[in-house]
Amino acid sequence: MKRRGKMFCSIYKWMISQAADSEKPIPGYVKHHTHRCDTCREFAQLCESLKPKFAQDKQVLLENYDEALDKKIITALPRESTPILDQQVVTRKLKTHRPALLPALGAAFLVLAVSISIIFLAVPRSENATSLGRISELVSAASPEGVLVKVESPLEREYMELKQTLDSTTKFLLSSLNFRIGQQAE
Amino acid sequence: MHEISMAKHLSDEALAAKAAEGSRASFEELVSRYSPRLFYFLRHRTETDQDIEDLVQETFLKAFKNIDRFNPEWKFSTWLYTIAVRQAISRFRSIKTAKSSLAATSSNPDPEEIVIQKEESQNIWKLANTLTKKQFEALWLHYAEDMPVKEIAKVTKKKPITVRVLLHRARLNLAKRIDRASFAENLAGTTPVEHKFSFL
Repeated sequence: MKRRGKMFCSIYKWMISQAADSEKPIPGYVKHHTHRCDTCREFAQLCESLKPKFAQDKQVLLENYDEALDKKIITALPRESTPILDQQVVTRKLKTHRPALLPALGAAFLVLAVSISIIFLAVPRSENATSLGRISELVSAASPEGVLVKVESPLEREYMELKQTLDSTTKFLLSSLNFRIGQQAE
Repeated sequence: MHEISMAKHLSDEALAAKAAEGSRASFEELVSRYSPRLFYFLRHRTETDQDIEDLVQETFLKAFKNIDRFNPEWKFSTWLYTIAVRQAISRFRSIKTAKSSLAATSSNPDPEEIVIQKEESQNIWKLANTLTKKQFEALWLHYAEDMPVKEIAKVTKKKPITVRVLLHRARLNLAKRIDRASFAENLAGTTPVEHKFSFL
């Protein structure tokens, strides 16, 4: 019975404390309990008296404060007025952004370089394209227009190569046919 | 000179707004208003007076540098105490005050401690100073700075219910200490105590 009473007392004390936090009066049923319970009544009295006592003693405490610290703080403050500090804040913000910008730029440059090299490697080029033989062929071409056409138009070059292949194939076929025709004639 | 006398009549928030516009006198007034309060508030976190002074100075320097970020719709005290708590945490992260351990082991105090508590009970803040760091800070912000639970939670970065529990435990522990103090007073027989809380 005693233990149960103690348990309820801790709940009542919590409620008294909550009333002190919100600066509201103690609920009626809690007040009713404090009439019968000495410890809860004393606790309620303490909670009620804390606010004025703390306020009163705070004044006494602060009166004993050494004001030399105030002067020390004020002299330690930067001489510039706060608008100048605003500028400092802006420059500081810029400075803080700069390290983030640099890696981003570096990464972008790297991506660009990698993509260019991939394109360069992926595009098919004939082995003769840069060889000396091909250059001398171009130089020895009859007209400068022809050189330009050969250099500037890969389609033209392709067409010429196909034509050459077709010519040689035709010659081969013709020679083969002649040989067979001859055989049949015999 | 005129600016200084004007500053004395302004609210903290108005002074902070003026300081943000570049008024040094306004900020100096804020320093004189808050430095003693911060000094006693931070006392619990440090072991030497030099440490407290350094911490108070660092808090004001940080406030001065960031005064343009202060929102005048908020209470200046909440903003300043938030800076102070953060400064204290970053400075003394690893240091645990001797006072906290004293409070933790004070269930059976020796007679000497009882006498000290009797002396301390003359000023309730000195008695509160024997509580744990968190309990003392909650009491200071609530009773000295008149902050509601929500604002204390904001300053100390705790949940409102945690602050309520801290305040409740602080009151319970204060009641115990006052009990001991009045017991010591009765033992000494200096003044007849009619009621335990007569000194309050």
